[in-house]
Amino acid sequence: MSFKWLVWIGLYLVMGVLVPWATALSWAHQHGSVVRPRPRQLFQRGELGLVGLVVVISAIWNLLQSQFMQQTIALAAVLLAMMGTMAGDVWIETYCRQATGTACDPRRTWRDSRNLAFLVFSVAVVVEILLDRFAKVAAL
Amino acid sequence: MSAPAPALAKPQRPRVVVRLADAAVTVAFLSLIFGLVLVFFPVSFPRIIVTSWQRGYLVVVMMAITLVLDAVVYLRAAYLRKAKPPILVTACLGSLPIMVVGGLSFLMESAVTQTISLDLPNVQARVNEEILAHTYLGLVSAVFLPFLVIRLLQQFKATK
Repeated sequence: MSFKWLVWIGLYLVMGVLVPWATALSWAHQHGSVVRPRPRQLFQRGELGLVGLVVVISAIWNLLQSQFMQQTIALAAVLLAMMGTMAGDVWIETYCRQATGTACDPRRTWRDSRNLAFLVFSVAVVVEILLDRFAKVAAL
Repeated sequence: MSAPAPALAKPQRPRVVVRLADAAVTVAFLSLIFGLVLVFFPVSFPRIIVTSWQRGYLVVVMMAITLVLDAVVYLRAAYLRKAKPPILVTACLGSLPIMVVGGLSFLMESAVTQTISLDLPNVQARVNEEILAHTYLGLVSAVFLPFLVIRLLQQFKATK
């Protein structure tokens, strides 16, 4: 069993979550700021949903290049696209609420984007595991 | 006849407002468990799924699992918000997982038939992988889609 999928998802976690957080900490350090932003503060407007959307696009791209039957590819791609859209929608809703002055609860935004990003990451991981297995079967 | 005194009137419990984030965590954990079992039991777990499909009870088991999960997520949301579950939403949650699993089982049959009909090497292993993928996607869809439908209906009702 290869762990290519683990490297794949690790790359997105590092580039999408850890690098922005480390950059924010480094910026605060360079400017002598006492503020040490935590991931929750950094992604409080639902930006995690946008990271989820990027993961979904990559997983759909990998699906389209696989040798699964078109029914399987279509089902997985539509499901991933719906989840990614709903994750990205948290950021859009928060932006619209803030722009129009409508009531906006940051705790709810953080919870929604975190949960939906977790969903997108976990489904994308399993899809990558299935793709990995199928690639081995097709190569035999 | 005079109106009942406010103190005697029964307090109205608010209706359950479902948030997609409630269902998202459950689906994410279901997905992670499926992935972990697949990683640690790469041969026996797919074999169990394929055997149950061949014996004809895979779809029934999937319906039962998704119904239970949907009910647990919905009742938990109702309990946490001390709200009353509306009949329409309950009926929607009771029927949608069955419809989704039923509909996707036709798609699985079609994918399996097409795999067999194509002259591909290693057909049996390909069929097994297709069944495994459809089982996973069916489970995730049947838990997630009913909540997505309810969420969109709530949004539609709110804007009306």
